[in-house]
Amino acid sequence: MLFQVLADGILTGSIIALGAIGLTLTMSVLRFPNFAHAELITFGAYIALAVLGLTGAFMGPLAPLSFGLPLILATVVAMAATAVLALLIDRLVYRKLRARSKKMTVVFGSFGVSLLVRMSILLVFGGAATYYSTALQRAIRVGGLFRVMPDQVFTLGLTIIIVVGLHLFLKFTRLGLAMRAYAENPQLVGIYGYDSERVLRWTWIIGAALAALAGVLYGLTVQIRPEIGFHLLLPLFAAAIMGGVGNVHGAVLGGLIVGLAESLSIYLIPPGYKMAVPFLLLLLILYLRPTGLFGSAKGAVR
Amino acid sequence: MKKLLLSSICALGAMTGSAMAQDCEIAFGSVLSLTGPNAAIGKAIGDAGQLAVDQFNEAGGAAGCKVRYVLRDDQGQPNVGVDAAKSLVEIDGSPVILGSIASGVTLPILTSVAVPAKVTQISCCSSAPSLTELAAEGGTDGLWFRTLPTSRPQGIVMATLAHEAGLKTMAIVYVNSDYGVGLARDFKEAFEKLGGTVSQMIAYNEQQPSYRVEVNAALQGEPEAMFLVAFPADGATVAREWISFGGSSKLYLSNAMRADEFVHAVGADILVDAVGIDNAQISGESVSSFDAAWEKRFGSAPNGPGLHTMYDATAVALLAMEKAGKPNGRAIADNIRTVTGGEGEVILPGVEGFTRAKQLVAENKPFTYVGATGPITFDANGDVNGPYLIWGVKDGKLTTIDTWDIPRVDAATAAIEK
Repeated sequence: MLFQVLADGILTGSIIALGAIGLTLTMSVLRFPNFAHAELITFGAYIALAVLGLTGAFMGPLAPLSFGLPLILATVVAMAATAVLALLIDRLVYRKLRARSKKMTVVFGSFGVSLLVRMSILLVFGGAATYYSTALQRAIRVGGLFRVMPDQVFTLGLTIIIVVGLHLFLKFTRLGLAMRAYAENPQLVGIYGYDSERVLRWTWIIGAALAALAGVLYGLTVQIRPEIGFHLLLPLFAAAIMGGVGNVHGAVLGGLIVGLAESLSIYLIPPGYKMAVPFLLLLLILYLRPTGLFGSAKGAVR
Repeated sequence: MKKLLLSSICALGAMTGSAMAQDCEIAFGSVLSLTGPNAAIGKAIGDAGQLAVDQFNEAGGAAGCKVRYVLRDDQGQPNVGVDAAKSLVEIDGSPVILGSIASGVTLPILTSVAVPAKVTQISCCSSAPSLTELAAEGGTDGLWFRTLPTSRPQGIVMATLAHEAGLKTMAIVYVNSDYGVGLARDFKEAFEKLGGTVSQMIAYNEQQPSYRVEVNAALQGEPEAMFLVAFPADGATVAREWISFGGSSKLYLSNAMRADEFVHAVGADILVDAVGIDNAQISGESVSSFDAAWEKRFGSAPNGPGLHTMYDATAVALLAMEKAGKPNGRAIADNIRTVTGGEGEVILPGVEGFTRAKQLVAENKPFTYVGATGPITFDANGDVNGPYLIWGVKDGKLTTIDTWDIPRVDAATAAIEK
């Protein structure tokens, strides 16, 4: 039982982590909590679904995974489309609000964008729950201790690769350094002759692409509904804030902690109440360590 | 002055009316939602009660008097409903309250009007298990009845099926609502009485994208099968994840999942061992007798919730009052089981049937009313059973495997209650 709960928590946590990385990046570089980030997750999941509908099943699944090359192709398209959507939203809404109003206005603007995106998805795709593949995947027993689905293991592996990749990107590439610098001090980036627009653009692209990826991976293991992103909003914020805003590793750890806490909570409370767990964690963190578990300086990308 | 004139004309009218049959008049009070959230169905339900009263009057009235049907609106609000019921009992002197629709209105009327005033209350439409609980605790004083089956027999039939299939341990996963909690508990009680063990009882909240945590909790203790109480979309998620994580393919499914949407989402090949339950459509002479009377009176088919059950609620109360011989709430309640579900000549809905029933009462001979909802048997808590069908999935389609008529459901219920 314990092993199963731990495995479940880590696997759910890895999806929350993927979403939280994008959120923490945009939150620190763009300096506002983007509540529409959750909808980017939903958007990504649905774009992949649409692409999959167009390409069809011209190739079977790659055993033991439940999906094949079409979904991988669909994911790439979804990531690109979501990045375009994020840039479009920034151009049409956030940039204008950023230029001439206070920070809170942008936050409320993101609520509006969130509703707009979700309702558009509902309008186009309908509210019924769907799946990438209705074929049922059976879990594998690991050492008689717990059961996992191959897709979940794939998700975990991919999360690890992305975290390492992102770490290297932020540490060693010129763009990555610029993003970190911009989060610390936007003016300074300009003084050093780096195009701050470019930094903002790439922050959106990376954040949105990761959101889309999280959406597809999440959609692989659950039903795809117009609210899937919205339901992740609280866990995402809990994870990002717990890790310290701008801290990529922190967001990953935060995601795992939220996932594990949700899973382990069934020892204490009936499963029906587990939705409250991220909320409680968020309250606790804000009360005890508002800068996150790792006490990061405010707004630093690490 | 105008009002006075009007009421005296009404009184005159009532007098001339009763002069033809009898010299007295008994008010029969009904509280329904004519406005408010249930307004769309409330008026037609009220008409069904009126039809029964009119037919009874045509047959010569009840307990030696003409019956006056008084319909009051509860606006879907408990306080309005209680006030309406109070005025029916205290001012009109009604020995019966028929209603209400929403359980949230029915319950306060029962506890604060019907029981203290010792008036019989029969509802056409309230299905909440809390009313059964109240009756079981003795809080209804035997004055409470309803003609709409609760979810309880469903739980009993499913538990009986599981028991007959030789299952010993089962997990229950249920939607966290009044419906889910009630049905899960009824199933558990019945299954344990039959010697089975419920390994886990897990509630889930609606509209979640995944129920992995719930399913894994339910899988603890390696249950041989699962009883799932859910609505189609969430039910599909639970069923898929249950199978994915190695749960048994023996799924026992509640009525709401009898939908093509559910079969499609889960996959027909996975549901080959699954069995589900649903209310069966009732047909028969007594039902068509009511349908014909309704069509003749209102010019349309009686399609809509609560029409058959309201007609029967009214008819049963009238027959019981006729049998009791006096408009007394306690006496009516005591006679309700005498005129239904027992031995004797079968009485069908309609003027003819009611006339015959009055004759049999006069001759002191037993009879049993078979109504618009078919045969009616009130259990100890005033609840009725209905017929059920058992469904499965064959060749990718929903198929009826078996039907449980009322005697079979009654036998199963009796086996649990003994």
